[in-house]
Amino acid sequence: MAVSSAFKNDLLAAIPNLRAFAVSLTQNADKADDLVQETLVKAWDKHESFQMGTNLKAWLFTILRNEFYSQMRKRGREVQDTDGIMTERLAVHPSQHGLLDLEDFRGALEQLPQDQREAIILIGASGFSYEEAAEICGCAVGTIKSRVSRARNRLQEILKISGEEEYGPDAISAQVTGSNAA
Amino acid sequence: MTKQQSGAEQTALRRQGSNDLLGANSEIGRKLKQYYDELLSDEVPERFSQLLAQLEQAEPLQKKG
Repeated sequence: MAVSSAFKNDLLAAIPNLRAFAVSLTQNADKADDLVQETLVKAWDKHESFQMGTNLKAWLFTILRNEFYSQMRKRGREVQDTDGIMTERLAVHPSQHGLLDLEDFRGALEQLPQDQREAIILIGASGFSYEEAAEICGCAVGTIKSRVSRARNRLQEILKISGEEEYGPDAISAQVTGSNAA
Repeated sequence: MTKQQSGAEQTALRRQGSNDLLGANSEIGRKLKQYYDELLSDEVPERFSQLLAQLEQAEPLQKKG
């Protein structure tokens, strides 16, 4: 029984992170919570395969991600949805006071291809190392690095901001940055 | 011209190292954290603790050998 409650508490503690990652993947709060629920059930069933002392969060993220992609495969055509929409959409314009609005950022994030979005979330937000992210996504460290880099460039392009200088100064430099990133 | 800039930018990125790619000086890095922190602070619905309580009761875990 002690094993059960300890594991249960660890899972409980991981839920906010799992939900945040799930929302980032699905872009939909309801789907995200269903995904988290599936993940918790799977994690409970697969408890034996978790190596004590290793990173539980990474283990759970791996389960969640696998579950997400297996659901996507079942649904078929929804899978590459984001790619198609992305090219159709116009770039987000920074709000009038020049500050990058969180809503704009969310919109831009949605336009990223799935693999780039998950990479930049894992590295830039969830706090994983490149090695851990590679493990979670089942790919090479270099692949994660290039996805993060492409995601970052693309976000800058969509949001029309340049790297270290805040809120891209003018339209011309934004265009230059845009053509570089492409 | 643009090609050179692009190359220089790439080199700069590499030199900064991976951590700085989304570091505190990057607007993207900051927004990303803000976006995620907002998600993290979202209150966890009851259903999850209920689910775990059910799992704990229905399928107690075995101590690993």
